[in-house]
Amino acid sequence: MAEHTSEKTARFVFLLLTLSTAFVAFYFIGYIFYTAYPIFVNQGLVNFITGTKWSYSQGIYGIRIFIIGTLIITALSLIISLPVSIFTAIFLSEYASPKIASLVRPFVELLVGIPSVVYGILGLYVFGNILRDYIIPFFSSNFGYIFLFRSLSDGSGIGVLLASIVLAIMIMPTITTISEDSIRSVAREHREASYSLGATQWETIRYVVLPAAFNGITAAIVLGIMRAMGETMAVVMLLGNTPIIPGSLFDTGYAMTSKILNDIGNYVSMDEPKSALFGIAAVLFAIEIVFVGISRKLGGKL
Amino acid sequence: MIRKINNLLFKSLAYLAASTTVIILLIILGIIAYEAVPSLHLDFLLSSEVEVKGFGGAIGNAIVGTIILSTLSPLVATPFAIGTAVYMKKYIKKGKLAQSFSFLIDVLSGTPSIVLGIFGLVVLVYILKPITGGFSLISGVIALAILILPVMERSTETAIDTVPHELEEASYALGANKWETIKYVTLPYSLNGILTGLVLSIGRAAEESAVVVLTAGYSQFYPELKMAANDKLLFGIKFYPFQDLVAALPITVYHGFEFPNMVDRSESFAAAFVLIAIVMLINATARLIVWRRRIG
Repeated sequence: MAEHTSEKTARFVFLLLTLSTAFVAFYFIGYIFYTAYPIFVNQGLVNFITGTKWSYSQGIYGIRIFIIGTLIITALSLIISLPVSIFTAIFLSEYASPKIASLVRPFVELLVGIPSVVYGILGLYVFGNILRDYIIPFFSSNFGYIFLFRSLSDGSGIGVLLASIVLAIMIMPTITTISEDSIRSVAREHREASYSLGATQWETIRYVVLPAAFNGITAAIVLGIMRAMGETMAVVMLLGNTPIIPGSLFDTGYAMTSKILNDIGNYVSMDEPKSALFGIAAVLFAIEIVFVGISRKLGGKL
Repeated sequence: MIRKINNLLFKSLAYLAASTTVIILLIILGIIAYEAVPSLHLDFLLSSEVEVKGFGGAIGNAIVGTIILSTLSPLVATPFAIGTAVYMKKYIKKGKLAQSFSFLIDVLSGTPSIVLGIFGLVVLVYILKPITGGFSLISGVIALAILILPVMERSTETAIDTVPHELEEASYALGANKWETIKYVTLPYSLNGILTGLVLSIGRAAEESAVVVLTAGYSQFYPELKMAANDKLLFGIKFYPFQDLVAALPITVYHGFEFPNMVDRSESFAAAFVLIAIVMLINATARLIVWRRRIG
């Protein structure tokens, strides 16, 4: 009989803990959208998302500039990091001997352990100077006629390219490790069948292994995108925080996360501005929820 | 011929990519160490910021703050994380409800930290101020606990998945009920995996900045243990250090950006160096746990 009670108690305690977790999650997600709701009604959801003007004094809130800022640095960081991370994953799972792979893998994992503020000051003091002194002058003087390479910023090195390079380094380990896992999980028989047909190692990777690991690699990329879009500290330090749509790679911009971080402290006690800032967070959150759905679908969980 | 060249070309690309990754990490660590060394001395590490002139001149307060924040928040999150994982794996009926809940956990674990940060700022710092004390250790710990809860929950679920079914069935066959099986078979067997998740979430809490700056604030003093009258708080008493501001290393590093004229460049890097050292030490511990599991 006593055992029976302990069984019941255990089930009850586990249920209680789970319900608490669920409560916190629902309360948190609900609170974000609940606080953002007035601004969606007040401005109209479409106006809020596509509007170009953000003014506390006039009560006009449009976040197009911040959305575009976030999208540009996310896309660019993906373009920079994708080749390196996918090929590193291929190296670790296909080319490297187990010994070499176990030697290289910790380096990839150590990159995860570098906090984002540290990437921020590295970009600010080191990479930014390299861009300012060498890269930007070179490209803008030789290729300045291409709009991408126009020199538009104040010449401090801070801007789209710097933020994207640093973000690229930050999302590289995420994409690498998850891609490696999914490439590694492709069955050995597939590879051997391909070899026995006379395919070279690269042909096997290109036509057999990568297609088989396609879902996993896409999920890895989705997680990388989520990490880049949600990154706050490094981006606020490196993108320049000027409310304009960047006109070139070297121009400054403003990301969604940065706008929230920079303004929330001053406006937290005023209802309308607070709701507007929560509106940015809600849009970001909504995008993230879609991505979580995609990555679960790819992982076969939904 | 072309096929052979292609084969070689892409093989070299893979080698190149992997070396790039390794070199990037070495360069990053090298730069940080090189910039940090001039400022790394015992006084810098052991004094609180208030004892020296200006900002960022010492990081003792931030080191202590980071250690407290990153040990207390996993402590708060652990029961909920493990409880939820056990319920999800062993009790809940498979179906729509279980699936939506698992989706919810995924959403929570992918939350951008700034979103959690402003939630903490409004709810913990402002609305619950009489209890939390506003910007405080309690607010920071609760917000960080929410941040790491889904991470720990997922790693616990994965650890429970590794328990062989035969073991659990053997336990049932011996007449044990579900709770006894969980207590004596499932949890002990998955202990290593759970511990690894715990240690990794300590690291996650230590490196977090956006959430901490919006909930814990910052203090140039060492945390101290005392009580003082404060009529704005519950019971009219302020409990130090729990209801008091607390510093954290990532914020010290961030000050290098916020107040570039007040914080010495080398001191920013020195704070970054110590922060990385702490996070890597924590991650190495997690690695050691995995490694022991493989041996043992």
